[in-house]
Order: sequence, then structure tokens, then C-alpha cells
Amino acid sequence: MIQTIVYGFTIGAILYFFSVGLALTFGTMRIINFAHGMVYAVGVYLFIAFLKVFDDSFLLALAASVIAMLPVAYIIERFIIRRLYGEGLDYAIIATYGVLLIGTDAIKMLWGTTSQPVNDPVGISIEVAEFGLPVYRIAIFACAVVLFLALRVFFKRSIIGRIVVAALEDSDGVRCLGLDVNKYFSIIFVLGSALAVLGGILYAPISSAEPYMGFHILLLAFAVVIVGGMGNLNGTFVAALALGMVMAITGRFWSQAANAMVFVVMALVLIVRSRKLDTD
Amino acid sequence: MNTPADIRGLSIRPAPRWKIFGQLALIAVGILLLATNIKLHWLTDFIIFFILVLSFDLLYGYMGHLSFGHMLYYGAGAYVTGLFLVNVGKNPIAALFAGLAVAAILSAVLGLIVMRTHGASFALINMAFNEIGFFIIRSPLAKFTRGDDGLSCSSAKLFGIIDLSDDVSAFLFVGVMLLLVFAFLQVLTTSPFGILVRSIKENEKRVAFFGYDTFRSKWIVFVVSSTLAALAGSIFTLVRGFLSPQVISPFGNVEVIFAVLIGGAGNLYGALIGGAIFMLIKNFLPVMIPELSKVVGVKLPQWEMWLGIILLIIVFAMRKGVVGVIRSQWHYRLRAARSAP
Repeated sequence: MIQTIVYGFTIGAILYFFSVGLALTFGTMRIINFAHGMVYAVGVYLFIAFLKVFDDSFLLALAASVIAMLPVAYIIERFIIRRLYGEGLDYAIIATYGVLLIGTDAIKMLWGTTSQPVNDPVGISIEVAEFGLPVYRIAIFACAVVLFLALRVFFKRSIIGRIVVAALEDSDGVRCLGLDVNKYFSIIFVLGSALAVLGGILYAPISSAEPYMGFHILLLAFAVVIVGGMGNLNGTFVAALALGMVMAITGRFWSQAANAMVFVVMALVLIVRSRKLDTD
Repeated sequence: MNTPADIRGLSIRPAPRWKIFGQLALIAVGILLLATNIKLHWLTDFIIFFILVLSFDLLYGYMGHLSFGHMLYYGAGAYVTGLFLVNVGKNPIAALFAGLAVAAILSAVLGLIVMRTHGASFALINMAFNEIGFFIIRSPLAKFTRGDDGLSCSSAKLFGIIDLSDDVSAFLFVGVMLLLVFAFLQVLTTSPFGILVRSIKENEKRVAFFGYDTFRSKWIVFVVSSTLAALAGSIFTLVRGFLSPQVISPFGNVEVIFAVLIGGAGNLYGALIGGAIFMLIKNFLPVMIPELSKVVGVKLPQWEMWLGIILLIIVFAMRKGVVGVIRSQWHYRLRAARSAP
């Protein structure tokens, strides 16, 4: 049971890494960004490529691939997302889905369709009450907590963070103050993409890299964003951990139902809250 | 003469009878033209997809509600028909109506929930239900549906004479079904109710302000659209006699959305042309690309990348789809010809 709980926290932590960017883009620009899955998957594949370059140094390869994905994220934001700002939801979905397809196909072309395993960089387990717990999984959860606290500080204290929080509430109001909201949205978008890459890389040793990994996590992350409240950062954290736990516990008793249970929770939350979401 | 293109179609008068028959004849000719180039077996799949795309066009194109869960009803129709054939009886008509009835009830119940949401929530709650349906078919009901192994379900002859496993009669059957669905949608969308639905797309608040019960209209459209999707699914079962959970997979939604957009949303011809273009891309690009790569000498990307590029082009350059572009060109030429002395 302890293993299940730890696993739930780990999955929740990964979902959190991925969903932050999605929640921020939705909150600021009202766009469902499918391209997030593309950044995530391509980032992981780049990481595997960099591992060979840097002689299996996990941290170096991680840093290199996150940095390498920053310009990609910026290009997506500048030339696709920003042009769709303020337009209907559907066109944004389709354009970003197109980007996701292109990215997935590029992966298949460059690296093939077979899934690629990644070694656990820590590889040590600790014994807690006669159960073996991989240190790596606990480390992931610790990273998520650190990230959550860091983002809280970022959005409370730094000027960029405060402007974005204000824009989440009322982007026209911020615009009226003479601030270039788009610039800050760009920064946030790139930050969110970097976090998605980070989450993907941290998750790679537990699962493995495959071309459609972006699609699978996207569906789960939508559930997280909906349950947590779109654009609500604290809610995203709680929802990611809660849904991760739902997945782990369901998976323990009925492994095929793990994903479906997440959507049951999401549907229930939407039903309960559907009137509040009538805003757009 | 300066009415915008979107309003021009909003005529209150229903289209005259002969016009509908003319349109049906046009579609029949178009499909027969396709039949000269494509194997009948494939064309049958195309036409089933057309019916599905038409049903989605009613929901998305005409009412402006983008759903990510339309395959739930397609799959429900397909599976109920299949299970009916296996467990109850071999009569294809009874099986078809069983599929339609169950899907109609399902969409009527879920519609009460989903139609209260808008925009992103609507798209995603439908996706959630579709995921749940996909799971139910694959896992808890695996005893009946045989899960991922697939369910084979043959039907008896239609009216005791038509054998649906034969390519030609299957093609004729789905062709007639397509014409019926098209005629139904043509009448529905040009009727006063259809105009109301299109007005909801433009501005729901104003329609409600006029005293119309918009929730009821939206719910009716959702049920009709879902039932038509189930019709496509049921026909698929009858014609193919084999089902896998792929028919209810949420990934299928994207294909339907793309087909509608490629052709042009909110236009029945757009749905047909978009469906045809999408199916041609999907079926022929994977075959053509390896051969083309041999000619060029470079390994070319697979079809998914081309589809992605086409989608970006649609969004940034061709919002109204293929039919929209043709139409605006047509009106432009017409006006130019009129103004020229």
C-alpha cells in the first residue's frame, strides 16, 4: 500500500509538471494547447539523444534538452498561439493539434516507433516497513513540491508573476495599464513548456519514451486542468496529486480502469460545477 | 446585395422539393464518379465516414458546439447493433433500430448534462464520457464485446434478399443511407428550427431573449446528431460484420473534426467534400509516400505530418474550408460578371 501511495504521488507530481503550462495558457489566453504534448514528447527524445552525447550524465542532458526546447516553445507561441489569440476555441485546438501531429511524425521519422527505455538515474531503493521504495520516485515528488512553492513565490513576489496573475483575472485591465501583456504571456508559455519537458524527462525512467506519449498525457492533463479549475494554480497542484492518487489506487485493484477513473472524476466535477463554468 | 456570406444562406423559405432531389442526384453522380476510381470496398468505408461527418457537422458546423466525444455515439450504435446480432437475432433492420434506440437514449441522458456547458468544458466533458465508454467496452463488458480481440457479428440478409457482405449490395445500401441522411439534414437545416439552431451559434443570448428555449433546441440537436452518428456506426457493423474497440476510440473524434473543417463547417457539401478529401489523404498518402520517397531519393515524412501541415494551412489561410473558398470565388466571379457591361 505504501508503494501505491508513493506511486500516486509520483504520477501526480508528473501531471503537475505537465499541467502547469496547460493551465497557464488556458487561463491567460483561453486556448487549449495541444502543442504542449509535442513539446513534452520531443523534449524527452532530445534528452535521450543528449544522454549519449554527455556520457549518461542525467543532469547535463536534462539541462541541455530543456534549454534546447526553449526556442521551439517560443516559435510555437510567437507564430501560432499568438496569431490565434482571441479567436474561437476550435481554430486554436486544430492548429495546435496540427503542431502535435507534425512533432509526433518527426519523432517517428528520426527515432523510429519503438519505445525507448531510460535508466533510473538513482537506482537505489530504501526500505520502509519491509517495502522497497525507489529513491528516485520520492525525489520526483520532492521536486514537484519545490516547484509548487517556487511558483507560488514567483507569482506572489516577482513583477512578471504579479502581472501574469493580474492578467489571469483581467487581461484587458492589465493592457489598459500600458503593459504589453503578450510579452508576459510569451514568457509564461515558454516557462510552462520548459516545465513540461522537465516533467517528461523525470517521468521517462519510470515509463519509457514512445512517439505517442504526448497524446496520452494530454488527455490526463486536461482532466487535471478541469478538476483544478482552469487557470487556478493552487487548484492544479491539488488536482494533479489527487488524480495521480486516484490513478495509482485504481490501478492497484483494477489496472485497466486507472485512466478511465480519472475521467469519471473529471465528469463528476464538471457536472457539479457546470454552472460556474458558463462564463465563456 | 451587400449581405455577408454567412447570412445569405439563412433563407426562411424551405428549399423546394425538386431542388433537394437535384442535390441528391448530384451527390449520387459524385459518388459514382469516385466509384470508378476507388475499390467499392473502400468507398463503402468512405460513405459510412461521410454519414458520421454529416452528423458532426450538424452539431459543430450548424450549432457551433465542438465536441471531442462524438465517437461515443458512433461506437455505441456499432456495438449495440453488433451485440444484438450476436445475442438476440440476425435481423439487420431490428439490429439497426436497436443501435439507434440505445444511442438516442444514451445521448438524451448525457445531453442533459453536457448541453449545460459551453466551449472548452463542452469539448472536454464529451471527451471524458467518450473515454469512459471506450473503457467500458474494452474492460468491464469484455465478456460480451470480446475486448481488444474484436467481435465478429454476421447479419441475415436484408429483407431476406440483399446480402450485405457482398461488396456491391453493401455499397448500394450505404449509398441509399447517405442520400437519406443528406436529405433529412437538408430539410432540417433549412427549416425554421434549423435557422433557430444557426442563430444559437451566432448569439445564444439573443435567441434566448426572443423567448426561445435554447436549452431544449440544443438538446434536440445533440440527440439528433448523436443518433445519426449511431446510424453510421450501426451501418458499419452491418456491412463489415466485425467490431473492435477502435470504433469507439476517442482518437477518432479528431478525424471527424478535421474532415468537417477541411470541407468547411456549417455546410453539408463541405462535410461531404471534406470527408472525401480526408479519407483520400488517410488512405492514399501512406501508400503514395514510400513510392514518392523512392523517386525523390529522400525519406519523406509519413501522412500525419502532411495532415498537420494541411491543418495549419486551413487555420491560417482557408478558414471556410474548400467549399467556402470555391463559394466565395463563385460569388466574386458572378458579381464581376454582373457589374461588367
